[in-house]
Amino acid sequence: MTETSLSEKASETGEPIISVTGLTKRYDDLTAVDDISFSVQRGEVFGMLGPNGAGKTTTIEILEGMRRADSGTAVVGGIDVHRHPKDVKKIIGVQLQSTAFFDYLSVSETIKLYGELYGEKVDIGAILEEVELTDRGKAYFKQLSGGQKQRLSIAVALVNRPQVLFLDEPTTALDPQARRHMWELIQRIRATGTTIMLTTHYMEEAEELCDRVAIMDKGKIVQMDAPNALVEQLLKTGFTKTREVKLANLEDVFINLTGRSLRED
Amino acid sequence: MRLYLVLTIASLKMYFRNRQAIFWALFFPMLIMLIFGLLNFDQFSPPDVGFVDNARNEASTSFRNAVDDGEDPLLDLKIDDEAFLRDELSDGDIDSLIIIPAGFGEADGISTVQAVFDSRKPQEQGITETVTRDVLDSLFLEIADVPDEFRVESRFEIEPTFIEGQGEGFRGFLVPGIAAMAIMQAGIFGVVFSLIRFKTGGVLRRLQATPIGPSHFLIGQMSTRLIVTLLQTYVLIVVGMLALGVSMGNGTVLNWIDLSIMALFGGALFTVLGLAISGWAKTEDVAAPVANIVTLPMMFLSGIFFPIEVFPDWLGNISQFFPLTYLADGFREITVNGASITTLGPELLGLGIWTVVAFAIATRVFRWE
Repeated sequence: MTETSLSEKASETGEPIISVTGLTKRYDDLTAVDDISFSVQRGEVFGMLGPNGAGKTTTIEILEGMRRADSGTAVVGGIDVHRHPKDVKKIIGVQLQSTAFFDYLSVSETIKLYGELYGEKVDIGAILEEVELTDRGKAYFKQLSGGQKQRLSIAVALVNRPQVLFLDEPTTALDPQARRHMWELIQRIRATGTTIMLTTHYMEEAEELCDRVAIMDKGKIVQMDAPNALVEQLLKTGFTKTREVKLANLEDVFINLTGRSLRED
Repeated sequence: MRLYLVLTIASLKMYFRNRQAIFWALFFPMLIMLIFGLLNFDQFSPPDVGFVDNARNEASTSFRNAVDDGEDPLLDLKIDDEAFLRDELSDGDIDSLIIIPAGFGEADGISTVQAVFDSRKPQEQGITETVTRDVLDSLFLEIADVPDEFRVESRFEIEPTFIEGQGEGFRGFLVPGIAAMAIMQAGIFGVVFSLIRFKTGGVLRRLQATPIGPSHFLIGQMSTRLIVTLLQTYVLIVVGMLALGVSMGNGTVLNWIDLSIMALFGGALFTVLGLAISGWAKTEDVAAPVANIVTLPMMFLSGIFFPIEVFPDWLGNISQFFPLTYLADGFREITVNGASITTLGPELLGLGIWTVVAFAIATRVFRWE
């Protein structure tokens, strides 16, 4: 996605779908989230980057209504998360960092059950196709590979046709093929107009998927902009990479040799 | 309502697809029941024999002392009046009955000792008969300084009669006890291990991200456990009837309904107890020993394999208040004596109080992660 299409979208929708002001969360003597503010526009893919312990997951879980902030406000889809966490949960889709489903329910049964929790009758076939699990519909959760579990997790997050999809490290621990498939899936979901907020450790992933990123460190947002703009700013300071720039990297070699298709069956 | 139904059906599916759970809930207790039932451990202890002493003389006293010296008895004598002991015999509470006639061993004539046997207990009959005869033999030699050509039959005679007792013996005792134990094991271990897995694996947390939340899911799990409880009770009692020949109370439908009510009380209690343990413990490593500490003493002290009466009084006084004791006693009253649930107030109350206590603990200590 280019920056122009993003700024067009932002200007035409006006009201942000997520807006966060002065959000703070403390655990004992650790301040996990330290007075952060940001907003996400409708239709945007917004990334949170940062090292482990930076506060990404805590932030995202507050927005999901799963943790209570100590101070500050968070509004998702026009609903105050602190005051009406249940109402927020109805309009969002969630993929947690480590999610397990029921060992002895099949993929289809799991999706159907979660649909019931939202009072939704789900078109299971369509969702399975969307996340490329059509031929695994009858498999039990415990029989799935890592990438398949992750895609089921996204399928479950989509049962209520959410306005905002929260993805916490969606590609961690996936092999390069599965990661690329996940990226394609996220881009397809974004194309349906769903706003996506994700966290990641992979800069390449952020560049590939995100319209804007916030870089967090020690509970604070240290920088926030479009990925390209951030790179431009850095270059303007006179920064140069010490190594010569190659036109391909090792991952390109890996993908070139092993192909793009998924390896999990 | 529809949601609970959906969640319960999903829980049931998960339960019955997990073969290990089925094994521990149904086949393992069944195996234990059959092993103990077929070995009939009761035969290793001396028969319980009623003793009516119409003579009250030196001879009858030495007979009594010879049979049961209080330390290592040949027969476990229960001394009382005849009418009462005949009732006991027909209820199956004692195995046979010996009646010593007035003037026993005194007169020159023959003293006829009456022996009443339960025809359903040939083994106990054999032991009682042999012991009685041996003791009478030695008694005869003791009291009668007579030449060998005089035979014991000239002074003592045993006159056997048979009645068919109603009791179920050890098997009748064992089967309802095992059913109660199975409910305890499945309730506590089944809930603890599946719930801890849900908790540590992040299943509960994922449910927390939905508007419904995980508590509804837990209710679905509980309903599943209660259905499993009923199933366990029916299967184990029916196998007991078919394989071990025990009877089911007076065999009426009402009896089965009473049994189901008692089972549900027990199932609710042990499921909530499992919930309390798994809600408090963070990992399986913590939960497993706690679950064992709760269940093991009950397994041995609640009158499952042997009656509480064999324990010293102080221990019996404690274990009569164990949750499993209430359930096992309740089951036994229904299956052995055909008691109506309306007469089992103390058992239901005991189970109810324990359930309230366990529920209070569960709600206090429960942690979702």
